[in-house]
Amino acid sequence: MHNYVGKEFDRVDAVDKVTGIAVFTADIALPRMLHMKVLRSGRPHALITSIDTSTAESMDGVKKVVTGTNCDILFGTCLWDQPPLANGKVRHAGEPVAAVIAETPWQAAEALKKIKVTYEDLPYVLDPIEAAKQDAPLIHEKNGEYRHISYVVHPIKGSNIFHHYKLRKGDVKKGFVDADVIVEDNFEFPLSSHTALEPHAAICRFHHDGSIEMWASNQAPFVLRDVLSDMFKVPASKVRVHIPYLGGGFGGKSDVSIEPLVAYAASFVPGYAVKLVLTRQEVITGSLLGRGMKGHMRLGAKSDGTLVALEASMYFADGAYGDTSWAIDTVAGHNCTGPFEIPNCHVDVYGVYTNSPSVGAYRGYGHPEGHLMVNRLMDRLARKLNIPLPEIMKKNFLKEGKVNALGQKITKHHGDICKCLDAVYGSIFTENVPKEDDDYFYGRGLAAMMKSPKMSTNAASTCYLQMNVDGSIFINLSGIEMGQGVHTVFSQIAAEAMNMPVCKINVYKDVDTQFSPWEWQTVASMQTYRGGRAIQDACRKAVELLKYNASLVFHSDVSHVDYDGQYCIHKLTGERIPIGSLARGYSYENGLTVGIPVQTTGYYRVADLTEPDPETGMGNAAGSWTFGCQAALIRIAKATGKIDILHFASAFDIGKAINPKTARGQVVGGVVQGLGATLMEKISFKEDGNIKNVNFPAYVVPRIKDIPHKQTVFLFETPNNEGPWSAKPMAEHPIVAVAPCILNAIYDAIGVEFAKLPVLPSDILGSIDRKE
Amino acid sequence: MKLINMTVNGDKMVAYIPDGRVMLVDVLRDQFGLTGTKVGCGVGQCGACTVIMNGEPVTSCTVLAEKAESSEILTIEGLAKEGQLHPIQEAFIKAGAVQCGFCTPGLIMRLYALFSKNPDADETSIKDALGKHICRCTGYESILEAALLAQKELKTLV
Ligand code: FES
Ligand code: FES
Repeated sequence: MHNYVGKEFDRVDAVDKVTGIAVFTADIALPRMLHMKVLRSGRPHALITSIDTSTAESMDGVKKVVTGTNCDILFGTCLWDQPPLANGKVRHAGEPVAAVIAETPWQAAEALKKIKVTYEDLPYVLDPIEAAKQDAPLIHEKNGEYRHISYVVHPIKGSNIFHHYKLRKGDVKKGFVDADVIVEDNFEFPLSSHTALEPHAAICRFHHDGSIEMWASNQAPFVLRDVLSDMFKVPASKVRVHIPYLGGGFGGKSDVSIEPLVAYAASFVPGYAVKLVLTRQEVITGSLLGRGMKGHMRLGAKSDGTLVALEASMYFADGAYGDTSWAIDTVAGHNCTGPFEIPNCHVDVYGVYTNSPSVGAYRGYGHPEGHLMVNRLMDRLARKLNIPLPEIMKKNFLKEGKVNALGQKITKHHGDICKCLDAVYGSIFTENVPKEDDDYFYGRGLAAMMKSPKMSTNAASTCYLQMNVDGSIFINLSGIEMGQGVHTVFSQIAAEAMNMPVCKINVYKDVDTQFSPWEWQTVASMQTYRGGRAIQDACRKAVELLKYNASLVFHSDVSHVDYDGQYCIHKLTGERIPIGSLARGYSYENGLTVGIPVQTTGYYRVADLTEPDPETGMGNAAGSWTFGCQAALIRIAKATGKIDILHFASAFDIGKAINPKTARGQVVGGVVQGLGATLMEKISFKEDGNIKNVNFPAYVVPRIKDIPHKQTVFLFETPNNEGPWSAKPMAEHPIVAVAPCILNAIYDAIGVEFAKLPVLPSDILGSIDRKE
Repeated sequence: MKLINMTVNGDKMVAYIPDGRVMLVDVLRDQFGLTGTKVGCGVGQCGACTVIMNGEPVTSCTVLAEKAESSEILTIEGLAKEGQLHPIQEAFIKAGAVQCGFCTPGLIMRLYALFSKNPDADETSIKDALGKHICRCTGYESILEAALLAQKELKTLV
C-alpha cells in the first residue's frame, strides 16, 4: 500500500494560481528594462532589397533598431537553418525583419511604423506536396548544405525536402499480394495553433562581461541555454536561463522559438534587459504552429482480418525552418501503424519547407497525424470484411510477443490495450444508440492508440535533494510546471520515497540553469516517468546517507539501522535519532560532528536508445509505450450540421496514476483539445500568403458550450518496471485518437467517409445534400 | 502623460499613463504590479484579463485606462482577505479546476461578479458567463464543477 502515491492531493501550485501570485514571464519587471516590438514581413517569400531605419531610430524613447542585415548567425539543435532575424530573405509572412527596442512598448510600436523595407516578391508555396515537387519555388537555396546531424536529419539537396524519413520493414510488395482486401485514402491534418493561453514571452540581458541571462516561457531551459551559447560563442556556463510558471505549453514552447530573436536584439544594448511579450496575433504568425500533414495510406489484410501490409506517404508543411519539426516527421513515420502489428511496412515521410511559420512539437506530435489514417482505414476494413471493429482490432493489437514497426518486441508490462478497448466499448456500445429522429442523426465511433515518445537518446532527468535540520526536504528538478501538475506529482513521489508527509516536501518552483540540475526538456509526457525515477534515486541515496550517519552514532553496522521517515532506529537496541539531527551529519553536545551532510543527486535515463537506422528506419528508438482506446457517441443536427458529443469515453493503461485527479484532468482537457482539432481548428491563409485567422474568435477553439455532455475516463494500472511505481507517460495521449474516433462516429451516423480535418458543420450539410 | 485616479482593491491609487493606447490592464499590471490579471488575447475574447469595475465584470484589455478615472476596481489580488481564500478560490482548488492557471484569475473574477449579483444563477447562466472565457488546459469540466461548488458554499455563508 502506498501513502502518498495514487492519492488525490491538491495541487501544490494551486493557491498561488488562484490568488494571482504565481509569476509568469510577462509578469516580470527588471531594473533597466526596455521593451521590444517586432516588424514582421507581411509577405510569405521575398528578397529584402532595402531597410531604412533612420526615422525610427530618432524617435522618442527608442534605444536601438536591430535588423538581420549583418547577422551571420544560424541557430539550431540538429539542423542549423534559421537566422534570428531575416537576413536578405523572408520565408514566411510572420518572419521578423526588424526589432525596435524602446523605453515603452508603445514607443517601440510607434517606431515600427516608420521603418521602411522594400522587397522583391518571390513565388511562394504553402502546400507540402506542391512544395516537395522539383519545380517548386526553392525556399532554402542552401538546403542540404546547412550544418546538420546527418544520422538523424536527411535533407534532399536542391529541393524543399529538408528531412526524409523512411521505414522499410519486411516486404511490402509481397504483403499486398497476400492481402485479400485493400483500403486506402488521402488524409489531411491541417496546421493549427497550440493556443496555450499564455502568449510567448522572453526577457534577455547581456552583461558587460559577455555573459547572458534570460527569462523565458520555455519548456526546454537547457536546450535554450545551449542554443544561446552556440549562437553567441559564449560558454554554456556563462548563460543563465530562468523559467517561471508556464501558462500552458503543449509543445509550442519546447526547443526554442522567439528566444534567439530577443537575445540577438538584446546583444546590441548590453547592460539592459530587453523584454518581448507576443500578442496573440504574433503567437499565431510568429511562433510555432503544429501538425500540417497531407498523407496517403494503404492498408492490406487477409480475409480473417489479419493485417499484412501498410504503405504510407506523409508530407508535412513544416514551415520556413526545419529544426523544430524533423523529429516529428520521424516519429510520425514509425508510429503511423498505430497500436497494430503489421509485418510489412513501407513508409516515406517528408519534412518540407513551406512559406508558413515553422512547425514544432504539438501535444502527441506525429501520433495524431498517423493515427487519423490508420484508425479510419481500420474502420473501413472492418466494414469491408464484415468483422466487428473491436474484433479486428484485437486480432492485430500490439500485445505481448508482437513486434512493432521499429522491430521492438512488446511485452506484457507495456500495457493491456484489450482491457482499454473493452472498457470504452462497454461504455459506449452497450448503451442503445438512439434511433434517428426528426432533428438528429446518431452515431458511435471507436479508435485505438499507442504513443511512444521521441526523445534525444541521451535524454535524462536529474534531481538534487537537500535535507534540512527539521527533517523537511527540498527537491530540485528542471521539469517545467506548465499546467500538467508536475510539481504536485514530484512532491507525492518524494513523499512516498522518503515515507514522509507531502507537507514536508518542497519542490523548487522556478527553474534556473545556474542552480537547477540538468534535464533534457519537459516534453513527451516524460516528467512523472523520468523525473520521478530521478527523485526515487536521490531519495534512496538520502536514506542511505541518513542510515550511515546514524550508524556512526550507534557505533554499529549500517545494516542494523532502520529508517521510518521520522527516525533512524537501531534495530537491536531500539535507540532512535530524529532524521533532522542527521541532516548535516550528527553533532554531539560538545559540537563534535560526524557523518556526511544529506544532499544527494539522482538521475534516470531511458536506457539503450538509438536513433532509427537511416536505411530501414528501424531500431531501438522508442523507450516507452502507452496504449489506450477511445469511443464516442455523437449526434448530428440535421438542420445545422452541428455535432454534439453526447458521451466520450477514454481508457489508457498508464501503469500507475500517481494523482488520479490530475491524471483525469489531463485526459478531460486533452479530449477537448482533440475535439477542437477535429471539429473547428485550422490555420487558413489569405491570397497574399498571410494567415487569415490570427486571433480569437476567427481562430476557433473549444469553449464550454462545445464540450462533451459526459466524459468517462478509465485509467488502468498494469505493473511494469519502467516509471516510479509503474507510472508511465499519459498527458499527451488523450489527444491522439480523438479525431478518428469522431470521424468513425460520423460515418456511423450518416455514412460519409471524412478524411480531412476539421469537419465543419458546413461539410456535414454539404455531404448530406450530396447523398440526397 | 496623463494622471488618473482609481480605487483598486480598496486602496486609492494614482497612475501616470504614458502616451499611446494604454489599457486598464496595462495600468494594473505595469504601474500597480497587479500581475494576477493576465493577457491572453488583448481583444476581449478570452476573458483572462477580467476584473470588476464599478461592480461589473469587464475585460480590462478593452477598457482604455482613462475611462477608469474615479472607478472602483477589484482584481484577483483583492479577493483573499487576511490570508483567507474566498470560497470561489477554495472551490477551484478543490475541484481541480486549476492547471496552468493562466485563465484562473479571470474566471474567478467572472464568477465573483455573477454570484454577487445573482447568487441563484442557474446552470445556463453560469455556462453563459464561463462561455466568455477560454481555457486550453482543463476541458472546462472541472471549472463548471468549481463554479457549482462555490455557489453552494457561498449560499451557506449568507
Ligand atoms: S486578454 Fe482581455 S479578453 Fe483576452
Ligand atoms: S488552466 Fe491553463 S488555460 Fe485554463
